[in-house]
Amino acid sequence: MKFTKSIRLFVLRNIRSEKFLTLLAVIGVALGVGLFVGVKAASDRALSSFESDIRGITPHANFEIIDASGIDFNEKIYRKIREMDNSSYPVLQVGAYLPDLKQTIILNGIDVIRSAAYLETPGADGLNMESIFTDPGGILISRAFADRFSLKKGDTLRALVYDGRYALKVAGILNMRNLPAVTVFMDLGNFQEYFHKTGLLSRIDISAGRQEAGKIEKILPPGLAVEKKTTIIENRSSLLKSFRYNLQFISLIAVLVGIFLLYNTVFISVVKRRTEIGILRSLGMDKRTVIGIFLFQGLILGLAGSLLGILLGQVAAYFAVTAVAKTVSTMYGAVSVSDYLLSGKDAVSALFLGVAVSLIASAVPAYESSRIRPDESAREGSFEWKYGRYMKHLFLAGLCLVALGGIVSFIDYLYVPFNFPLLAYAGILLIIAGFASTSPLYLALSMKCIRRVSSGLFGATGKLSAGDISGNIYRFSVALMSVAISGALIIAFLLLIFSFRASLKEWIQKNIAADIYIKPASCMSNFCYYPLSGPLVRKVEGYPGVAAVDRFRTLRINFMGRKIVAGFGDTKVQRKYSHARDYGKGREAGISSYLATKYHLKKGDTIELATPKGDMAFTVRAVFSSYSTTSGFIYLDRKYLRKYWGLDDATQLGLYIKKGADVKNIVRGLREELLPRYSVEIMDNRELRDSVLAIFNKTFAITYAIELISIIVSMIGVITTLLTLVLEKKREISIIRYLGGSWKQIRHVLVLSAGTIGLTGILLGMIMGPLMSIILIEVVNKISFGWEIRLRVPLFYLSAVIVLLFLTTLSAGLIPAAVAKKTDPRRFISFE
Amino acid sequence: MIELKGVEKYYGSTHVLKGVDLRVEKGEFMAVTGSSGSGKSTLLNIIGGMDRPDSGSVSVAGESISSYSDEHLTRYRREKIGFIFQFFNLLPNLTVFENIEMPLLLKGSGNDEKVRSFIRRVGLEGKSQRYPHQLSGGEQQRVAIARALIHDPELVLADEPTGSLDSRTGRMIMELIRELARETNKTVILVTHEQNISAFARGSVLLKDGVINPAVGQAD
Repeated sequence: MKFTKSIRLFVLRNIRSEKFLTLLAVIGVALGVGLFVGVKAASDRALSSFESDIRGITPHANFEIIDASGIDFNEKIYRKIREMDNSSYPVLQVGAYLPDLKQTIILNGIDVIRSAAYLETPGADGLNMESIFTDPGGILISRAFADRFSLKKGDTLRALVYDGRYALKVAGILNMRNLPAVTVFMDLGNFQEYFHKTGLLSRIDISAGRQEAGKIEKILPPGLAVEKKTTIIENRSSLLKSFRYNLQFISLIAVLVGIFLLYNTVFISVVKRRTEIGILRSLGMDKRTVIGIFLFQGLILGLAGSLLGILLGQVAAYFAVTAVAKTVSTMYGAVSVSDYLLSGKDAVSALFLGVAVSLIASAVPAYESSRIRPDESAREGSFEWKYGRYMKHLFLAGLCLVALGGIVSFIDYLYVPFNFPLLAYAGILLIIAGFASTSPLYLALSMKCIRRVSSGLFGATGKLSAGDISGNIYRFSVALMSVAISGALIIAFLLLIFSFRASLKEWIQKNIAADIYIKPASCMSNFCYYPLSGPLVRKVEGYPGVAAVDRFRTLRINFMGRKIVAGFGDTKVQRKYSHARDYGKGREAGISSYLATKYHLKKGDTIELATPKGDMAFTVRAVFSSYSTTSGFIYLDRKYLRKYWGLDDATQLGLYIKKGADVKNIVRGLREELLPRYSVEIMDNRELRDSVLAIFNKTFAITYAIELISIIVSMIGVITTLLTLVLEKKREISIIRYLGGSWKQIRHVLVLSAGTIGLTGILLGMIMGPLMSIILIEVVNKISFGWEIRLRVPLFYLSAVIVLLFLTTLSAGLIPAAVAKKTDPRRFISFE
Repeated sequence: MIELKGVEKYYGSTHVLKGVDLRVEKGEFMAVTGSSGSGKSTLLNIIGGMDRPDSGSVSVAGESISSYSDEHLTRYRREKIGFIFQFFNLLPNLTVFENIEMPLLLKGSGNDEKVRSFIRRVGLEGKSQRYPHQLSGGEQQRVAIARALIHDPELVLADEPTGSLDSRTGRMIMELIRELARETNKTVILVTHEQNISAFARGSVLLKDGVINPAVGQAD
């Protein structure tokens, strides 16, 4: 028989006859694939937004001159460079916030005349050059930005820039296709004058060969460096790596559950059609064709799932883009992503993922289908009985996999062989696979106990349900694993989140000690890099009731070839008012656990920091957990900021008030005094603590969402398994009806089965979840973020969520019960 | 005890039963014969409360079951009917013991001793913990017979009980049904297309073209 005809007869017809089941499997795969692709697209967009920002307006620029510490530098050098390289473009850049649009933008001061060739794209909305040069705050915005906020030429926008409030006027709309929506241009001179940054530049873009770049480097003053754009992009991307891989990994679990679903559907199809396969085999159909039929069935479901997944991925991307952009902006610096449409590449990767998932999922059942002998095909239960022999082997293999998962994760913990916790991720997957392998014997053994109890408690329905599960161990263990993965995910993440929150609260208690905090309102990140105005700082220092001000400055510095955050604080002030550590005695530094883990550093070690005055050695005085950044943090006394970086400004202020003074009054007074002139955020200690917690809650929002979807997919797994059993067991249901069993009793049987699976699955999840959370906390978290998290067990929430999961599983039995009620017993008995 | 008057049944446009009149007394062993597709199983389903007639009446022990609700019919089957099928229709994931016990459990009254005595009575001692697929066809049908009688029904409906057995085993099964029916004074309606099997019954009617023809023979 031609393969195409076989497909039509044995695949398409089968799919048609099991529409609902097929639909559930397709939805399961689609949710997994959609989530994976959506999250991937979101983090890709964040990365490409970073990249576009670095690339700048000139497409040919391949190097840039920047200050090694990430601060703006004197523009004098530009004249010299221009003499050497005519294709250099100066840029002065800052992140700004538009409160009316609730949107962050990247404001770029550029040489508009020299860049006109790149700006004057076909269809540009007639650039009003005069307005750009003469209107204070004249800006050029992208078409996408204009469309999104219905902006037109001449509109004025309120903006928070540095620590001031400004008005920006739309002078033109650009049609540049590759321009990120949030990139906004201004004339450099106008920018410098308007924002009081005369004589400063953030970077100079150059397009040069390696030799030429080397020559330019030689004339640069200390502190400035020529860096390759691709290296900067790589560095910036690597900041996102941990965050990205974590999201991707969690969404991969949803895909994994999708694989279970598909496996289940194809497996059930094989079991259900064993008679048909037996007949076909006896008629001469070869094994390869049988395998092909079931692989193809899986493939069709996988492809359909992928196609639907692309649509769902689009929805997921829409939400994920916002969540990712928010988190990235908070943790790594302003980024605004506006493009959430999936690209052709995303669609192809969704299809590829779907195909891979379907082939993985259908490989085992397809192979099994080819092993069906014609003589065993008609015998009841033979399929499950035949499998029964492998249960012990599978169990042992499962235990080995779990142990291997643990070992692999431990190796990652000890040696950190990769930049990200690859081995720990593999360890978690191995543990899931291991538990999946142990699940049949675990269920079989559990059923020995449950069968007696269930029969005793529930009589006929208990016996029928227990018999059903005992006779279909493999099929039910797939549903059990769906529940177990759900349960494990819930437990693991609850443990992680609660432990994290508790540790964070402790950290806040210890570290947020000042009475009042002040930072620029335009700064949306945990760390701000643009200094507060000098007069503002002086006004605060002299404000009545203020005992001392800890002037804090952050810089991005090079450490071991990577950009990390360095914070300079007045440790003397801190020590006096909050008993903090004094880093000012010798050349000492505190480093975050992330750096300690990544570079195997400990207390007493010496580290070298690149400063404008050359590399300086510091002794590691303390290793601490830093929850504000995931890229490594070094804490130094600000006297070294003056000494080695030549800076004495501050990006954030911590105020300690005099004994007896009223914090609330001082905050109110400061607001009245400063806000009319400056755009700053003034918070008391409580407000800052609350806002830090709120930021972390937002950071976890996407994790909650992904987790929820994984749970939904696994619930579909439970429903599908029970449903397939109902479809397969219509004859048994009919027999019970003939014997006088009521529909209520049949529903009771199915709900009992769902409950049994829920209970055994949750129990397995209760072993798997804590294991996963230990790996997530001790290995994944440590390697990815370096956060110190002490394990906490939120007993109340855990119990509540487990009860909820159990009730959900129980109710998953109601859908198959409703389907069962449609069974016409006469049809299934008379057919014989 | 069982009385059918003018029972008609349609399946779509097919007129399966065209006014069946039948009366079976308590304790009687009646065979309904007829060719394949003559409506024998439909008739049995109607008497067993698995189907409803489109017109006519069915009364069992003076009660009209035609007016029963679905719930009432379920209770009627659970308490008053025992079914024996051609393909045994045992529950594959339950043991012999559990299969026989099931009608009692569905009524909410387990009785292990009674189950064991039935297992002995049908000659399956030592096999109570086996699963259906571990039994021969004849043994499976013995389990089905025990299951049909365990809850002491008033009426046993047997649909081609020997249809999937060899003739020797078939005869043995029929003897068992007859003996047990006699011992327990059960009314049995046997549906078969085989004349030699219908001979086990005391009375016999022929269902042809949707109507019952007068008695065609007597056994014993």
